[in-house]
Amino acid sequence: MEFLTNTKIPFLRYRKFFIWVSIALLVATGVEFFLLGGLNFGIDFAGGTQLTVKFDESVGVDQIRSALGAAGQRDAQIQQYGPPENHEVLIKTPVKEGSEEGSSKELLAALNEAFNPDRGDNENDLNQRGTNSIATVLKASDPDGLMADDVDAANAHYEAIANAVVDARQRLGLFTTWEQLQAVDGLSSAAYDEIRDGAYLGSYVVRSNQNVGPQIGKELRTKGALAVVLSLIGMLTYIWYRFQLRFGIGAVVAVFHDFFITLGLFAIMNYEFNLPTIAAFLTLVGYSVNDTVVIFDRVRENRDRFKRMPLEDVMNLSINQTLSRTVLTSGTTLLVVACLFVAGGEVLRGFAFVLMVGVFIGTYSSVFVASPFALLWEQMTASKRQQKATKVQTV
Amino acid sequence: MDRTLLTRFLLILAVLAVAAFQAYPPSDSINLGLDLQGGMHLVLRVHTEDALKSETDNAVINMERLLEELEMEGESRRTSDNTFQIIGLVSDDATEFKRTVENDQRQPGWNVVREADSALSFAMTANEEANVRQSAVDQAQQTIRNRIDEFGVAEPVIHDEGLGSERVVVQLPGIDDPERVKELIKSTAVLELYLVAEGTGEAPTEQAAIDQLPAGLGTEYQVVREPKFDADGNSIGEGYWVLETRRVISGRDLRDARDTLGEFNDPQVAFFLNRDGARKFGEVTEANIGRGLSIVLDGQVRSVATIQDKITDNGVIHGNFTQQEVQDLVTVLKSGALPAEMTYLEERTVGPTLGRDSIEQGKKAGLFGLTLVVLAMFVVYKLTGINAIVALGLNIVFVFGALAAFGATLTLPGIAGIILTVGMAVDANVLIFERIREELRSGRTVKSAIAAGFAKALSSVLDANITTLIAAIFLFMFGTGPIRGFAVTLSVGIIASVFTAVFISRFIFDLLYARKQRVDKISI
Repeated sequence: MEFLTNTKIPFLRYRKFFIWVSIALLVATGVEFFLLGGLNFGIDFAGGTQLTVKFDESVGVDQIRSALGAAGQRDAQIQQYGPPENHEVLIKTPVKEGSEEGSSKELLAALNEAFNPDRGDNENDLNQRGTNSIATVLKASDPDGLMADDVDAANAHYEAIANAVVDARQRLGLFTTWEQLQAVDGLSSAAYDEIRDGAYLGSYVVRSNQNVGPQIGKELRTKGALAVVLSLIGMLTYIWYRFQLRFGIGAVVAVFHDFFITLGLFAIMNYEFNLPTIAAFLTLVGYSVNDTVVIFDRVRENRDRFKRMPLEDVMNLSINQTLSRTVLTSGTTLLVVACLFVAGGEVLRGFAFVLMVGVFIGTYSSVFVASPFALLWEQMTASKRQQKATKVQTV
Repeated sequence: MDRTLLTRFLLILAVLAVAAFQAYPPSDSINLGLDLQGGMHLVLRVHTEDALKSETDNAVINMERLLEELEMEGESRRTSDNTFQIIGLVSDDATEFKRTVENDQRQPGWNVVREADSALSFAMTANEEANVRQSAVDQAQQTIRNRIDEFGVAEPVIHDEGLGSERVVVQLPGIDDPERVKELIKSTAVLELYLVAEGTGEAPTEQAAIDQLPAGLGTEYQVVREPKFDADGNSIGEGYWVLETRRVISGRDLRDARDTLGEFNDPQVAFFLNRDGARKFGEVTEANIGRGLSIVLDGQVRSVATIQDKITDNGVIHGNFTQQEVQDLVTVLKSGALPAEMTYLEERTVGPTLGRDSIEQGKKAGLFGLTLVVLAMFVVYKLTGINAIVALGLNIVFVFGALAAFGATLTLPGIAGIILTVGMAVDANVLIFERIREELRSGRTVKSAIAAGFAKALSSVLDANITTLIAAIFLFMFGTGPIRGFAVTLSVGIIASVFTAVFISRFIFDLLYARKQRVDKISI
């Protein structure tokens, strides 16, 4: 299927209109950005503690909020994570003043206080207990009576049981009934009794637990900023070297245009700005330049071929010639990024959003921002040259 | 097939074979990051100033001994973590003392300065300070490793962040008991044995304990708390003991520790002393039969027993432990004492199920995207689209091959990088195919259109990919952890896509058309 062949759209005729569109977009996202108080920094950069916890069906977000509030964790942000039927929540607290170690201990203690009232400590809670701990108890009590025959075989036997129990728990998400424990493969009734003895089925499991202390947070901020600034400089230097100044300027303007508009939209959507987001933004910058470069490459070629043609026409011709490529590549990239956005999971959603918007804006800007600016620069320098020339004449 | 075509075919086959060999089977050959396989990433700061302090303690003791040895008047005074003074010296003594220290190398690593007539200042040299700090970090790493080994983690990674850094990075795949492991790593578990002050016993309050001593505590005695529990482990109050400040035994004297069961089948810890410790212990117990001896763990009395006989090399710590606590205590005692306190600066724990879910979601998104891109290529370029699809498939094999060959770690953002590469990799092919179409439209024959298409698109292909590669390289240089994974997959993907488009696509075209004299039609 061929499409967009031999188009003769005079893109640059409307350049003033589109420059105003871009300025309006920039202003609008910029204003929103500051009205909303800027970016929602994740713990990577702001520091703090973040837990994702999977509950059984009995616990709701509001209950969690009041439980944490009662324990003095009033700064905690609590939100549902993933689809509601997963019963997962994300709990985030800011950096604790004067501490590097964060507040995960206090958070878990508060959750236990509220939702696991009779549980005792971690060792009793079968939904928190680790493989090693289960194996230790089994080995010590030897419910299957194997230690007398062969100690190594007995140890291996109990380790296998502990693994099977934890595997079953992971498959289920968490144990909600004792029957689920009973159904574990290879678990004798004596071993079941031993594990069950004094045990408690807590109402949640911790899926992830992250803490970034203020020191590390500061370092990650510095490194992230450095990565962005240096890679911008790197790419611009390359464009400078490969193309002339005016094209360089056009590409630079387009990159900043894409960067800030996407950043603004990102802030408006209130996605969390974290380490993968930095990666997404840098990829966006790369992509934005990439798209511009392909058009400018063609402009360079056509200028050599049609020496008499005015720059505006050369640019229009080049944009039209590369139009089908621009649409196709943006299309395929957009396809995969959209898949990532829809099916890639919570962690990558913000990342995919940046790229989705970025590919779109990047394509738009290659045509409607980079080229007009290159043209504008050319006209400005040309008129300056003319002025100089007339000055010389009058003298 | 002509010669060059054959060489190219063999070259492509070789590269492909190497990549496939490296990457197969992917579940074994690709290192998964902790965010995908589940596990724990910790960054700890070793408070090396603790080690400086204890090194200074040693120096102070050493110099006090020298004072005694030289029979001089004088006393020590701590001035900072790594400096101290000897004051109250008689003028001649100060000169003599300084000379002895310097000439006889009595305190290597320290500078001595005559402060006033009666005082000498001691300062650790910068070199020695760096050594002490570094060895504290090294020792902390070793201790952590011992504890982790005891716990049984497969393939733990423990390293510092280079010379002069106070940080230790610990990566533990597959941990399902993070809180316990964190405690275990950081636990100081200092085991000490003290004699109970003569003529004193247990008291209900701290003051009551002190009141047993007619002369007060002084520097010779200390009061230590004993928490009490009933048989079920519930707290039932506390007691206080007056102990001598002089230690009989410390953690350094330990040779081994083991879990055992007491007379009521209660879990307890047996410890064994090394030769030095056994000698000291033997002397002290022999000389103090009938007096109380207390076992102090982490600053709390665990038990007090009356010395019945001379004991040499072993003892038991009991007092309401669970099986797991006993095991952890054994681990900590065996691993040796931490040289300094540690703080967690960063912790990232991901449960194995979360990682598995991430992989599933990534696979789903990737396959979905791949299918759509393949369809798009086929619809737009018809048979030539297959060429792009083959290139895309090989591209994915190359990316996995390169990841395996370089031992790079695949992270969640890394998966995103691969998926992104799928979308972007066809770009090089699109650039070339569009160019071929243009050349065809301008009236060239099929064969010359192909040749011209490749030739003219090359600079665009290179320029477009180099810019993205620059971004990826900077990400790699300044990125941390998972982001590096992204930078790696993106760079590898970009390089592979240029290779497949420029080299392999060309080869397929040539294979199909180069031999024929005339080609009238091409499906593009």
